[in-house]
Amino acid sequence: VTVGRSDGRTAAALLGLIILATVWPSGRLAAQDSQFGIRGLGTPGKLESVRARTTGGAFAPFDAFSPLTDAVLADVRRMSASFTSGASWRSIDASGVQSSLRGTRFPAMVIAGPVTRRIVVGGGFSTYLDRSFGVVINDTIDLRGVQQPITDAITSDGAIADLRIAVAARLHSRLALGLGLHRITGSTRVNATRSFADTANYRTSTARDEVAYGATGGSASLLFDVTSDLRVAGWFRTDSRLRADVGGHTVAENDLPLTYGTGLQWRAGAQASVAGSLTWRNWGAVQSIANAHDTFNWSVGAEIGSPASPFRFGLRGGQLPFGVGKTPTEVGYSAGLGRQFSGGRGRLDIGLERLQRSGTGLNERVWTFLLGLTVRP
Amino acid sequence: VTRQLAFLFLLAAAACTEQVTAPASCPNFCPTDSIAIRDTIFTTIIERDSSFRGYVPSYGAEAMSVADLPGIVDSRAFFVLSKAATRVTVKTGDTTTTPIIPDSVRFRLSIVGRDTLATNLRIRLYHVPITSDSSSTFASLDAAFNGPVVDSVNVSALLASPAFIDTVQADSLERRFYGDTTYRDGGGHILAVRDSGRILDLYFHLDTVQAPVVEADSGQLGFGVRVAADSLASIALGTNEAGRPPFLQRFFHHTIPDTVSTQPDSSVSGNQTQTPLFDSFVFDPPSPALDSNLAVGGVPAARALLRVAMPAFLHDSIDVVRATLILVPVSAVQGAPSDSFRVLARPVLADLGAKSPLGTNSTQYGSTAIHIGGSDTVNIELTNLVRAWSLDTTMATAFILGQVPEATSYTEIRFYSSRAPTVRPGLHVTYVKRFRFGEP
Repeated sequence: VTVGRSDGRTAAALLGLIILATVWPSGRLAAQDSQFGIRGLGTPGKLESVRARTTGGAFAPFDAFSPLTDAVLADVRRMSASFTSGASWRSIDASGVQSSLRGTRFPAMVIAGPVTRRIVVGGGFSTYLDRSFGVVINDTIDLRGVQQPITDAITSDGAIADLRIAVAARLHSRLALGLGLHRITGSTRVNATRSFADTANYRTSTARDEVAYGATGGSASLLFDVTSDLRVAGWFRTDSRLRADVGGHTVAENDLPLTYGTGLQWRAGAQASVAGSLTWRNWGAVQSIANAHDTFNWSVGAEIGSPASPFRFGLRGGQLPFGVGKTPTEVGYSAGLGRQFSGGRGRLDIGLERLQRSGTGLNERVWTFLLGLTVRP
Repeated sequence: VTRQLAFLFLLAAAACTEQVTAPASCPNFCPTDSIAIRDTIFTTIIERDSSFRGYVPSYGAEAMSVADLPGIVDSRAFFVLSKAATRVTVKTGDTTTTPIIPDSVRFRLSIVGRDTLATNLRIRLYHVPITSDSSSTFASLDAAFNGPVVDSVNVSALLASPAFIDTVQADSLERRFYGDTTYRDGGGHILAVRDSGRILDLYFHLDTVQAPVVEADSGQLGFGVRVAADSLASIALGTNEAGRPPFLQRFFHHTIPDTVSTQPDSSVSGNQTQTPLFDSFVFDPPSPALDSNLAVGGVPAARALLRVAMPAFLHDSIDVVRATLILVPVSAVQGAPSDSFRVLARPVLADLGAKSPLGTNSTQYGSTAIHIGGSDTVNIELTNLVRAWSLDTTMATAFILGQVPEATSYTEIRFYSSRAPTVRPGLHVTYVKRFRFGEP
């Protein structure tokens, strides 16, 4: 590919890669895992493209390729698709026990295109809750009067994805409305194994199953241009109860939170933008989980430089919904670069994110390398 | 740009490795449910248990028990050798025969089991009637076993003598592999140690009086074997069924008459071999009659059939990690320590009572050693079998206890049955409850 070449073949090939990525196994459609989610419904995904993520998430309400809001799809002027991936390296300190984990995820994909001059339809997937984790427990139990060393391994591999179809309409030159319909679906392959040190007398016990999840939701959002340089966004989302089925039988139903938020973006000239956003989610309404907390998250970020190759950075903070005792907190720093190619038909975004999560008895530190691709065939 | 893109995608692909498992910090950062284990002794799960005798008779056993344990048992082996030619044809195509003239006999007994602590172990050979068969009893053969001794050898003395190494065979593969050694005494006896000492091949050198050729008996011979020792006088002899039977090799010659050959009056040497048509052993006192207990072993071999009433929850909601059959012996098994044996539990393919066909999947077998003199509770691990029952509800939940090997010895063990409420058989099962997936 040569910069400036505009035949679109490279972009089409990359679109193919994106489509391939959409059929990747569901277990990979996850965001970053966290040990905080093990005792809850999971770890909420970040509904952000690489562009938005490298600004701390602040640009998500104003970025058409972040599946956070629907109204911003109105900005899409031609058929486009965006794909996000991230590779994470996570270190955990659980009451002095340290371990290192890693994983690669494909947390979001958005494809959108205008139907009419004022109406844009879009869709895609994102991670709603990540449920990939594994814990190993070493213990000694009394069996038949003998102290017997055992090892338990409980693993879950998979995620709950949010499939979205959305429509955005520009009601006025300054006002856009977006509505979205969400199907929350996914599955996890779960495995519980107990093995014994005395393999001569005790057999390993292994239980395997697949848990299927399902729920539906709806979202609405508004995008208002206060001036040509100042934008305000607001969004709201509600979901039905999340059903968990094993072998065709419902084993659990859990409430999902209401989500609402607001954001502000200011274009400080042709080569600089600053944004901030606030999000609330009432996870505390999940009655079945003892240690569920309402969360509030904030973010600020900036994009500097030419639109063809901007530099971005951001800061985020807030809370995680599940954790014993006080609400776990999360602080993140991120930065990244973007680069257009093929005459603007494609854009490659890379970024690096550092997250620190802390709660009662657990601290996590995460480095994530982000790679995003947007194409306009 | 293409190279840069390719590099980035390769980087992303290379990063597609997972490591999501970490040491747990429970309970705060573990799943709500945990792997729960239960350990239960099912005391009434075994029911409708019975014993049956007659599976393997003494003449069908893999070994013949020979023992003299005062106050416990007197066991004697006997066998009848096959017919042998008493005349030979001297010219091909000619019906004229001439009688053989016996010279000597080499006779072998294989000792396949013995107590290595026995001292002054002597083996005595007797003649028994060639009409001896499966109907012969200890009493009917008693006179023969108290008759003249055909030959006697002191095995302990042989083993204590200097080893003899055949220089021809000294570096043979068999010798290097098994460390075989040979011993001799002045009476023409040879003792060859086989299979790292587990088998002793005892050779007798018999003359024409000790091993006569009786034309009226078609050359058949019957021998009996008794054993004596200062203590622990108990051995097992190989049989036809085990592929190591008594073996007789007779050396003879005959003279060619001057009318039928170009080599008149010449003497020709030859030999022929005889192996048992029938081999068995008798002992006193005989195996006791069956009663309400579960008998395993003895002669003819007794087996016990035990049926297990599996609770429904053992079928569908648990994972068996260990299952142990608990049996309480009625009394200690008497005998010499070398007569210790194994009890094998085998599943039945279908529950047809005494004639239930046995399963052949050896991974589902369970076994344990029964030591002479031991009266402790007997435990047999049946984990794989109970796991199979748990997973497959169509399987017959019954198994048979048998002695290994069967009918080779007077030894028999009896366990209390389900008719004895306080000491009935039980099944000790350790199981893991089904993990509740899907719950936070």
